[in-house]
Amino acid sequence: MKAKIILFLIALFAAFSPAAVFAHHAFAAEFNSNSPIEVEGTVIKIEWTNPHTYFYIEVETEDGYFEEWAMEMGSPNGLVRRGWSRNSLKIGDVVTVTGSRARDGRAKASAETVVLDSGQRLFAGTSRPDFEEDDN
Amino acid sequence: MLIQYVKKLIAVAAIVVLQLALSATTLAQPSDPELDRTIPTPHLDDGKVDLGGNGVWSLPWIRNFAVRVVRGDENSSVPFLPWTKAMHEYNASNNVAYDPEGFCLPPGGPRSMGTPYPIEIIQHRDRIIIIFEGGGHVWREIHMDDRQHPDKETLNPSYFGHSVGHWEGDTLVVDTVGFNEKTWLDFGGHMHSDQLHTIEYITRPDKNTLHYEATIDDPGAYTEPWTVAWDINWSEGQELADYICQENNKYMIDLTDDFGNPFFETTTIAR
Repeated sequence: MKAKIILFLIALFAAFSPAAVFAHHAFAAEFNSNSPIEVEGTVIKIEWTNPHTYFYIEVETEDGYFEEWAMEMGSPNGLVRRGWSRNSLKIGDVVTVTGSRARDGRAKASAETVVLDSGQRLFAGTSRPDFEEDDN
Repeated sequence: MLIQYVKKLIAVAAIVVLQLALSATTLAQPSDPELDRTIPTPHLDDGKVDLGGNGVWSLPWIRNFAVRVVRGDENSSVPFLPWTKAMHEYNASNNVAYDPEGFCLPPGGPRSMGTPYPIEIIQHRDRIIIIFEGGGHVWREIHMDDRQHPDKETLNPSYFGHSVGHWEGDTLVVDTVGFNEKTWLDFGGHMHSDQLHTIEYITRPDKNTLHYEATIDDPGAYTEPWTVAWDINWSEGQELADYICQENNKYMIDLTDDFGNPFFETTTIAR
């Protein structure tokens, strides 16, 4: 029952995600928007770089091991325009990330929301375009 | 246990609501209702339209030229030659994985006016320079001194080609030849040949709107010239930022070809 509800909610989340993500490269070639993820972990590394920023989190698996996830976000210029800085996320922060998983199945995703342990939302929709999109 | 579950449920529900709100705003595009379209077009001292000001032009992300075709039969759309049609289908089939702009190469041609991140247009007496924040931090130069294109033998094929411009009333008309074949016309995988010749028509009907139109004349790729158009919004007070695409392009490292082999030799990547 529990699993069913969560799956339903995740499906709903996927269905209403903002359509596209920038993507200086082809988003769909790298990530699968039909493969949504939600993981919680501790930030261990941040790359504030172009064309995409990345952060890496250590996620505890069900059997007690740790798995490293790479999370892709927008570019620094885009994130700064939305009011964030390179210090908005810090090493050691515990975050819950939702996003789309890499097509190749690795522990890598395009992050769509980043929520701190305190409940504070970071990057306000990390993949949301900060420019208009055409209708295709 | 139950409390944890309820907390989780609330968190996921909150995300769903937020996503709904986000999709609503995304769908509400393209035109920004906040922008006043009644402020008159600014002019320079010499009477020419001022294409600048205290701000930048926020380019829209135009992904598919086929839905931007103007001055034609709605059904005719893109006048493909067989090879460009086949390549467009191939590019769509692999989710445009091999888009050169994804490799941090410049967009080139009209695509540069519909690629993410803003631009500035700088008007000198004898030339106009467009600086692009996106597309790998590039610029192009439009000669405004009545010069001609170099002859075909001396023309060096390049990403932005050779551009000459003139004013027709309040319309900036730019004629460009000499493109290389290393770019795509758009993100969606419309391709072109080195016979590409573009004619761009740029107007500023009011302070906050730049209207962009480009005719694509490429007998090596399309059966007849076709024209695309879109509007670009002014962002008062905004500045260009740094965007050095080549810095950490992990996409290139992981990209494989149709047979699963690395698309790039690893030695060609700086990391």
